[in-house]
Amino acid sequence: MEQVKITVALIIAILLQWTLRNVAEPFVYVDFPLIIVVYAALQRNSIKALFYGTVAGIAVDALSGGLLGANGFSKTLIAYVVSEIVRRVYLDNLLLRIPVIAGACVLNGLVYYGMHRLLGQEPTAQVVNTIAYTLIGTTIAGTIIYLLLDNFFVENIKVRKREVFAPRRQTRRRNPIRLGNRR
Amino acid sequence: MAERSQQEVWRLAPWLMIALLLFNFILMAFDAKTGSQERVIRAWTQVAADFFQSPVTTISSSINNYFQSISSLRIAQSENDILKQRIQELEVEVKQKEDLTFESGRLKSLLELKEQSPYKILAAQIIGRDPSAWFDTSIINRGSLDGVKLNMPIATNGALVGRVIALSPLTAQFALITKDKFGLGAVIGAIGGSGALGVVSGTGKKEILEMGYVSGSVEVKVGETVFTTGQDGIYPSGLKLGEIIEVRSGSATVSHQISIKPSANIYAMQEVAVLLYEPPPRPEYDKSLPNVIKDERGGKKSSR
Repeated sequence: MEQVKITVALIIAILLQWTLRNVAEPFVYVDFPLIIVVYAALQRNSIKALFYGTVAGIAVDALSGGLLGANGFSKTLIAYVVSEIVRRVYLDNLLLRIPVIAGACVLNGLVYYGMHRLLGQEPTAQVVNTIAYTLIGTTIAGTIIYLLLDNFFVENIKVRKREVFAPRRQTRRRNPIRLGNRR
Repeated sequence: MAERSQQEVWRLAPWLMIALLLFNFILMAFDAKTGSQERVIRAWTQVAADFFQSPVTTISSSINNYFQSISSLRIAQSENDILKQRIQELEVEVKQKEDLTFESGRLKSLLELKEQSPYKILAAQIIGRDPSAWFDTSIINRGSLDGVKLNMPIATNGALVGRVIALSPLTAQFALITKDKFGLGAVIGAIGGSGALGVVSGTGKKEILEMGYVSGSVEVKVGETVFTTGQDGIYPSGLKLGEIIEVRSGSATVSHQISIKPSANIYAMQEVAVLLYEPPPRPEYDKSLPNVIKDERGGKKSSR
């Protein structure tokens, strides 16, 4: 059920990415599919996150003037990096996720630009400006979207917290006075 | 299907990542190599996106128009007075034009000239913009079913704005002339009346084009208009490109470097015109050229 919800969220994110720029130009600086790909990676299922990254990236590339597969490449890489981080660090706290989405956004921009330069293409936009604006837009939108998604996945979070923080074992305290007596 | 254990997932993930990255890289390399040819993935994604983009654009533009009409009511009264006066002036001008048209028709019939339109024009609405912040392509609601083909020019208000780079049956995607890979033949001033021929190319910067290869011995002034020559084999001749805003003068041996501001307001377009223009077929390569590549059947295919 959880995977169905994330898939639906990803489809909505792709549709928003396709249309919102035509409604208002600043929305181009919010990378909705990246937000969902990072969220999927945070759910500790790296295989599904990798597939989401590739599919979302190619869906965006297909309507873009850039190279087909450039977004797919960067988002797949990010899905893997985030899922590796989340294996080692507990990131279920919203505050901890903010630097993750910000870092993912910067890495996504750099990889995307780098791949185009590598294959002899020059994006129209300026690198620093685009990455900076996307960083701001995506981090703000990502924080809000994660709040909303966490409400949808509330059951799942409770289960995961139980897994990560196992209940303390009740141990009997030894009486220090008795211990002293034993000696 | 059995659920994979977490350890199995961790073991599998790096290999899957490498496979997917490789797949994406091959796609990119293929896309970069083949340039602006028709792509199945792009075409079908555009078709799928059209069912969502068109209604959203229609709704958003109608809401936008509604609020704009409310705000424009304030200035409508003063504009109305100005327009009434302008109508009276125009009526006089129209009468003079009618006389001229009549005279022109009479002279044409005398010379047995026929009215010829070089190409048809197809009005189109922009239904989508580039979903990535790195590029500035747009999608229009006209596709191959309407007669649109790859590389057809897109214009607005008589000025060139770009050309079709991807096509689906219902939609077409066009890139702006400001894209740095674009180049087209251009002339400063009217064709035939000027020797200032050159190549206009995109700079990658917004709203700036660059014109090069203009002989340094030709005088060029700021404010002059630049038109297409049609010699590039893609765009028709006589389309307005823009006005010169800066000239870095050359010399007898060094060409001018000219900056041009596009005539069309390319970042605030809602409607455009597709020029159903097909360039005249190029002459066959001279078979006697020594650099002609021979194909497998022993014939000569193309020149380098």
